[in-house]
Amino acid sequence: MKNSRLAFLLLLALAGLLLLAACNKKENTEQSTSPSAAPAPAATPIDPATVGSLSGTVKYDGTAPKPAKIDMSQDPACKGANENEALIVDKGDLANVFVYVKDGVGNRTFDVPKDPVVLDQQGCRYHPHVLGVMAGQTVQIKNDDPTTHNIHPTPKDNREWNESQPPQAAPLEKNFAREEIMLPVKCNQHPWMKMYINVVKSPFYAVTDKDGKYEIKGLPPGDYTIAFVHEKLPEQDQKVTIAPKEAKTVDQTFKAGGAS
Amino acid sequence: MPDKPVPDSDPIVSKSYAAHYAIAVILLMATLLWALWDEAFGMRPWKAYQHVWKDRYTAFLLSARSKSAASQKEVEGSSDYQKLKQNLEEATQQASPHMRELQKQIGDLNSKILSVQAVFTDRRAYVNALTYQIETSTSQSSKQSIQRDLASYKAQTATVEYPDGSRQKYNFEQLEEAYNSLKDQRAKLNAELGDTLKPVTQSKTALDDYVANHMIDLTPTQIGGLEKKVDELSPSIQQINVAEANIVDRCESCHLGIREPVKLTPASMSAKGAKAPDDYAKAFVSHPNPDLLQIHDPEKFGCSPCHQGNGRATTSIEKAHGNYEHWLWPLYTKQNFEAGCQTCHAADMMLISGEVGWTISKGKDLFRQRGCMGCHRYEGYDKEPEELQSLNQQIKTLETERLDNTKQSAYMMKQADAAESNDEANRLNDQAVGLRVANSRIDGRLQQIDFRSHSLMQDMKKVGPNLKDARLKLNKNWIPVWLKKPSEFRPGTKMPNFRLTDAQIQAISAYIWQSGLTDSLPHQKPGNAEHGKELFETRGCLACHSIGEGDDQQGGTFAANLTRVGEKANYDYLVRWIHNARERTRPYCPYEKKDIGPEDYAKKKLPYVFDLGHSKCPNDGHELQVQNMTVMPSLRLSVEDAQDIATYLLTQKKQEPSAYADASYMDDPKLKEEGKKWVRHYGCAGCHEIAGMEEEGRIGTELTFEGSKPIERLDFALFTESAQRGKEPITNPEDLARLPEGPAKESWYDHKGFFEHKLAEPEIYDKGMIKSETEALRMPNLHLAKDQVQALTTFLLGSQESSLPANYQYKPQDTRRDIQEGWWLVTKYNCVGCHQFFPGQDSVLIKMKKYQDPDWKEQLPPKLYTEGARVNPEWLRRFLSNPALNDTDTNRNGVRNYLKVRMPTFSFSDDELRKLVRFFQALSQQPIPYIPEQVPTLTSKETEMARALFSSTAAPCLKCHATGDVQHDAHATAPNFLLAKERLKPDWVERWITDPQAISPGTSMPSGLFTKINDHWVFAGPTPPSFQGYDQDHTKLLVDYIFQLTPEEQKRVAASMGRSTASNAPQRTKKSVTGPSRPPASKSGASAGGSR
Repeated sequence: MKNSRLAFLLLLALAGLLLLAACNKKENTEQSTSPSAAPAPAATPIDPATVGSLSGTVKYDGTAPKPAKIDMSQDPACKGANENEALIVDKGDLANVFVYVKDGVGNRTFDVPKDPVVLDQQGCRYHPHVLGVMAGQTVQIKNDDPTTHNIHPTPKDNREWNESQPPQAAPLEKNFAREEIMLPVKCNQHPWMKMYINVVKSPFYAVTDKDGKYEIKGLPPGDYTIAFVHEKLPEQDQKVTIAPKEAKTVDQTFKAGGAS
Repeated sequence: MPDKPVPDSDPIVSKSYAAHYAIAVILLMATLLWALWDEAFGMRPWKAYQHVWKDRYTAFLLSARSKSAASQKEVEGSSDYQKLKQNLEEATQQASPHMRELQKQIGDLNSKILSVQAVFTDRRAYVNALTYQIETSTSQSSKQSIQRDLASYKAQTATVEYPDGSRQKYNFEQLEEAYNSLKDQRAKLNAELGDTLKPVTQSKTALDDYVANHMIDLTPTQIGGLEKKVDELSPSIQQINVAEANIVDRCESCHLGIREPVKLTPASMSAKGAKAPDDYAKAFVSHPNPDLLQIHDPEKFGCSPCHQGNGRATTSIEKAHGNYEHWLWPLYTKQNFEAGCQTCHAADMMLISGEVGWTISKGKDLFRQRGCMGCHRYEGYDKEPEELQSLNQQIKTLETERLDNTKQSAYMMKQADAAESNDEANRLNDQAVGLRVANSRIDGRLQQIDFRSHSLMQDMKKVGPNLKDARLKLNKNWIPVWLKKPSEFRPGTKMPNFRLTDAQIQAISAYIWQSGLTDSLPHQKPGNAEHGKELFETRGCLACHSIGEGDDQQGGTFAANLTRVGEKANYDYLVRWIHNARERTRPYCPYEKKDIGPEDYAKKKLPYVFDLGHSKCPNDGHELQVQNMTVMPSLRLSVEDAQDIATYLLTQKKQEPSAYADASYMDDPKLKEEGKKWVRHYGCAGCHEIAGMEEEGRIGTELTFEGSKPIERLDFALFTESAQRGKEPITNPEDLARLPEGPAKESWYDHKGFFEHKLAEPEIYDKGMIKSETEALRMPNLHLAKDQVQALTTFLLGSQESSLPANYQYKPQDTRRDIQEGWWLVTKYNCVGCHQFFPGQDSVLIKMKKYQDPDWKEQLPPKLYTEGARVNPEWLRRFLSNPALNDTDTNRNGVRNYLKVRMPTFSFSDDELRKLVRFFQALSQQPIPYIPEQVPTLTSKETEMARALFSSTAAPCLKCHATGDVQHDAHATAPNFLLAKERLKPDWVERWITDPQAISPGTSMPSGLFTKINDHWVFAGPTPPSFQGYDQDHTKLLVDYIFQLTPEEQKRVAASMGRSTASNAPQRTKKSVTGPSRPPASKSGASAGGSR
């Protein structure tokens, strides 16, 4: 008698155990709702009181060949003098070098300026020859020549396009979504017309003027890699540290011979 | 005897079996429960999947819905949507009074109809019954009597009570009329209602379309539908059953998300808070390539025809995926899943679906490019030799037949002459004449065979070079070094490593050398290496060939790497080869099976001339092989240019040719026979033309259905067990590196493992075996890279005898077949080295560093995205057969003579020309034959207008397009307009000039030249005054003008633009200084030759 009760109890226990296991399984499967994404760590805001600046001169070490004159008689509508802008050196100062903060701004994001940057076609020449723009910022392209141009960027990481712009046409408004340095732009009808657009994510960039000078303002203190990029010469990088309110001078020299 | 005392514990009385029973009961119950559990869950693991799916998918849809609602709100916020919504509201408002009125009328009518109907149907039934009686009654009198009854019944009146209470009496005819007229009224009102509602439904559709077209994801309503569906899902086996193809696939019982219209990833289907996706999450993904499902409807194709596995099994993952012993079709692994394409697409060389880079296509291409087909037959590959052989057989049979006929007819005529009666003589003569006519038919048939042979012989190619030319071409001492290990001399070469012993190498070299032709070659003057380098780098050689090794390597892998060609090649031969690789030393007669020399021609007093125009054998009149069987085309270079390139190439060496060890044993006649044996043993003639072995068969097994061989028939030799245990037998690090997934970690006793190991180290299955030289495995090491082994394995895995019905095979009979056939040619000649056929496909050239420069980009060969729609097919045929478009002035491109890179002459056979033209037409959905569109002749006023626009500074056409003026064309970047008339299709040109970037993205021709104003294409810049008041399409005007442009008109235009050859001449030369990186103006062949 006693034993059979035991057996019954055992059986009950077994059944209970099974039931429990089944219930457990169900519970396991029920705990699933939408996954949550980890929020990106917030960027440290820039304190305008501590920002510093970066400026300097870019030099060219060596004798640069005299820029070749461009013959524009192919199109009588191209007026004025024009010369090759691939390497503009004046008393050792190198123009058209794009200087930008390549690394060090961390995960800060910056508002895209509302104002467009202007690219002008005048005298069958691009003004400026090297242009900096933030990703997403509007580039306004004007044609001040009495002839038709076409604007043809040949990017690596952005979408390629090629549009005609007749004289007196409304400015073209374009933008580039992705960062890309020295993105070549050319006019197929005037093969000498070339320029480079630099698309960056931060507002910390500048292009050297004919005296080789550049200035980048509003840099928060920190460690940065500054890149100096020229269309023909190999890129030069420098590491700099900006202390609060510091106005740092960083010069850079490109050696001759790197030109292709 | 005293009674035995009763024991204290009598086992029968006192021993309890309760424990035993308890255990038995427990066991029994446990078994029962286990059986029940197994029945409900154990054997139905998919149930758990379906439960989890319901939870996770519902959660997913919930968050998707809120996202979708947000984006719908965004769409609804747009002004366009608001406008459409307002339209809808206005339309509804406008329609509603009339609509309500109509609906009321229809309601009234309906009840009226009902009351009439109640009476009418009753009476009609009675009338019909009487009519039937009349029809079936036999006696005339009874017919008449019923007729009378019918008439009187029809005349009786019946009362209809209308819903408004009024009553009306009708006889039968009146009743019928009333009923029909009421119904007509109702139909009219319904139509009116439809008309009234039309604006409402239209604006509703417009609104819905707007939302659907502007939402990238599903709309909340659509997601709501999905939620409802998943909510209603009750656990059951989900099955696709296609009886016709014997497909029963229950895969979707677990893979529930496969066909969902949302993108489900393992991450998005993971349980909340899970670190890594579990098995459920991995199973619930949506199909990674929904486009493929679109064209392969699962309701027709199921899953297993593409993926394999056991579609019927539902008891475990292993079973369902077919990963158990004796199941012949295990699921293809991730690395080889494209093998499934081969099941139905065996006839396709190129598989395309929106994107490129298909592993299976690569495998199929490798099978040809690496010469696998030289040893292994595979249905569809290299068909020409077989067909040619059968044609030769036919020739022989037909010729015997002709001879017999001649004999027979001569005999019969003789008999006829001596016949006893005229009747007999005539009968015999008739028979003799019949035989002569039969012979003329045979002649016709032979002629056709010769035409076909001509084409076939042109199409037939060998992967390796013609070794009959070995003596003329090669540095003798280099040959044995090359044979030792070809990849040592030239990494990546197509020539595989045969693991030859030194004795074998000596013998083989000796045979090749001694059997080679000894004709003499014309002596070539030395060239200019610098100019040769420039030509080599710009003419397009690098689309197929590469130069440099390691990181310095540039160019394509389709043909040989030429980094060390200077060590092996003979200059005179190389010049001839570069000038025209197809030029043969001696023609070969497949009929006589011998090389024909000048002596054969001299015997027949024929000049020793053989080429595609002179391809008849002097001995028997049949077709000769007059070309080298190489795919290398002619670039139509001048001899001087060929000399320059050859001179440059000979500078490409790591050591002097003279540094190779002396190999004079190759002249030892005793070695020749031994060598022949080995050449035959290793099947060298599969890839090379070798004297005396022109008709050798393939030495390897046929691989068409290799993937469906039972595993037991794949010879793992001593490694069956290691394979099962997942041990790696390959030890050579070079070969180990070829295994796509590295050394084996788990069992590789399957087809995939066998193929991968065989391809990585072909001799592996000889390891540990004692075999004689002739018994050892002959398959050479192809020194493949990982991805190549993977591609070939994929291809072989898919090479299966399909159990699917024949109509599942993709063997279209319409224009899609033209596309299918075309790809075999496009890959055969490596057209993709230079051209792009669809966006995203990168040619070799486009990836080269040189062509990244914007100026060089203009120098890229044209994209062929819409070639069939662009050009006249008849013109295309002419162009493909002679891309110079000129018989004498051939050292140039016929269309884009401003390009440095040259469209070569491939000497396509008529058959291949036909296929290529059809291919391009079919690719662009163009009908064949092409009937050119009529271009209207312009009036003189229109001509003047067009000319004014064409030559205005605002319209830049002639700045870039070539004009035939040498000075101007040196800087042209677009073809001459004079070609348009014959070459282009007018409708295409019109589309092109309105938006060239949409047809060929990145082209030099800008978009935005025309804008659409009032539904007309108008030039975007200032137009000449004559356009005042012109309201036609400017594009059309210009196209018509271009299509009737004459050279004179073109000169007139150039002159009106202030351009003349004389004034331009000095300026142009100066201008070339301006762009240093601009491709230098092409030097004509003559001047290049003269400059030295």
